[in-house]
Amino acid sequence: MILDKTERRTPGLPNGSPIGSAQERVSPRVDPAGRAAVLSLDRSESLVARIARPLMGYLLVIPSLAIFGVFFYVPAVMLFVLAFYHWNVFGATTFRGLGNFAILFNQPLYWQSLLTTGYFVLVMVPLTLLLALALALLLREGVRQARGGFARSLIFLPHVTPIIATSIIWVWLFNPQFGLANFALSHVGLPRLGWLEDPHWALPAVMFYTLWHSVGLYTVLFLAGLSVIPEQVVEAARVDGARAFTMFRRVIWPLLSPTTFLVMILISVNTMQAFSQIFALTGGAVGRGGGPAYSTSTDAVLIYQTAFTYSHFSLAATMSLILFVILLVITVIQKRLSSRWVFYR
Amino acid sequence: MRTLPLGKGDSIESARGKGVLRTIRGRLTGRWLIGLLIGLVFVLPVYWVLVIATGHHGDAYAIPPVMLPALQFGSMWFVLTHTNIVHYFLNSVLITSATIVLVLVTGVFAGWGLAAYHYRGREALFLVAIGVMLLPQQALIVTQFNVMFHLGLLDSYAGLILPFGASSAAIFLFRQAFLQLPESFWDVARLEGANVFQFLWRVAVPTARPAVATVVLLTFISSWNQFQWPLIMTSSKAVQPIELALSHYMSSFSNNWRDLTSAAVIALVPVLVIFAFTQRYMVQAVVGEDRGVTE
Repeated sequence: MILDKTERRTPGLPNGSPIGSAQERVSPRVDPAGRAAVLSLDRSESLVARIARPLMGYLLVIPSLAIFGVFFYVPAVMLFVLAFYHWNVFGATTFRGLGNFAILFNQPLYWQSLLTTGYFVLVMVPLTLLLALALALLLREGVRQARGGFARSLIFLPHVTPIIATSIIWVWLFNPQFGLANFALSHVGLPRLGWLEDPHWALPAVMFYTLWHSVGLYTVLFLAGLSVIPEQVVEAARVDGARAFTMFRRVIWPLLSPTTFLVMILISVNTMQAFSQIFALTGGAVGRGGGPAYSTSTDAVLIYQTAFTYSHFSLAATMSLILFVILLVITVIQKRLSSRWVFYR
Repeated sequence: MRTLPLGKGDSIESARGKGVLRTIRGRLTGRWLIGLLIGLVFVLPVYWVLVIATGHHGDAYAIPPVMLPALQFGSMWFVLTHTNIVHYFLNSVLITSATIVLVLVTGVFAGWGLAAYHYRGREALFLVAIGVMLLPQQALIVTQFNVMFHLGLLDSYAGLILPFGASSAAIFLFRQAFLQLPESFWDVARLEGANVFQFLWRVAVPTARPAVATVVLLTFISSWNQFQWPLIMTSSKAVQPIELALSHYMSSFSNNWRDLTSAAVIALVPVLVIFAFTQRYMVQAVVGEDRGVTE
């Protein structure tokens, strides 16, 4: 490399340590009495080197950007084009305008899937949020003293387990005949349920699994949020005689609002995109997930089935585009609001 | 405290102080115990996978449920010898390790390229690299399949590795680490005649060891647990990872809980072992990533 050759010709560092001082680190070029070697290095930089240096920066970023571009950005742009065409994977595209949307909006199944997704998200957000917050408040003191760390890890563990592997045991837990869920229900005198085999209870069963699998993540996020609440504020409130509830209501909750908001958005974005657990938990008997009687066919599941079971790629792309826009809007709103709406220290 | 009048040393203050301290400590221990119990409830399903897998025949149907593992490994042995699980397991190992190596390489390169050089559009490139995190995965899968088809990457190892060979989190973390590296290190290395790659390998990466650890953990988890992508992008068992095998078994073994859970154990063990040794790091890594997405 040319750059290297030029450098090799420059004289070694004059008397003294080769490693620069802190001052030099800040502004090596403008230091007038600075180290000759570093200055001469810059002066000796030829035109080629001066171009080659930033070029190297570009070159190093290119592999990553190529991967992102080909596998993520191109598909995202394709959504906006292909949703308006009739096509299959092999090609053969004909322009259809808003035809795909018209077909889609006439499908009761699509509306049902949106309702199912809405139900799923609307239940999961408060449920997960409250449980995660309660667990975080419970573990807070312990974690600060470094001995609640173990409990935190245990609650977090489900989040990193492979979804299909742990779904297997949850299918067993939800078994109507010998499953633990029904064993527990009948133990406290409640009627036994069909769970994954019952259209009314399949989605709640999926909710239980999702709660179990994800609440640890949000708990830890809340713990991180709690840990940055200034100790003096809490102490001051305590001195003023604030009791536990007032403390929570007037001090902790407002100070925690950035985290709460972040967690809320994360839960809705994640549950809206739930796929693997639905596929695994409801896939056994039906084969393709989403059952029984489409009761667990969320938007993501229906997109998968439309494209890869029924090969209606145009419709699937149209549904994807709608989902894409919804999720992007949520993310943008979150970005906007989080900068002004909530408390920052 | 009850002996009045008080001596000069033991005031009411100190006695009460001790009492308060004791209640606080007691309450903390109580909380800690409750926390621990809840933690155990969360781990229970994972524990049950082990109990059923190593239990006696019919344990899965027992009421009340069996709580202790019988440590019978017959079922495990059957799954290992009579199914292709080892093959799927090795596929997962291959895919995961290749992805980790690739993510480290592209992450270090891009991190350095975005930290050490000054050029026009650098901030924009950084945003493009980070912005991938904001794209909703479920909305892209259909057109991604289209791209994969036209690139001829369906049903191949490359198709399972390459798309995940770069990671925003890795780029972010390495850039962050390299920004803290004194510029003079790089100057000296150049004076010594080292090129960029030698410098990265010998100096920059060793100083960014925490970032390396975090990236390895994150990539391991996401790669090992991958399910939807291989479900859609592969059709032959030659290249499929273990999560997909489990999904096949779920429909073919249907009610053979011992074999099914034994297979699940094989997929779970690497995660559990690595989690056991790195729990603190892993919690921080995953949380850091999720905060990074939105902040």
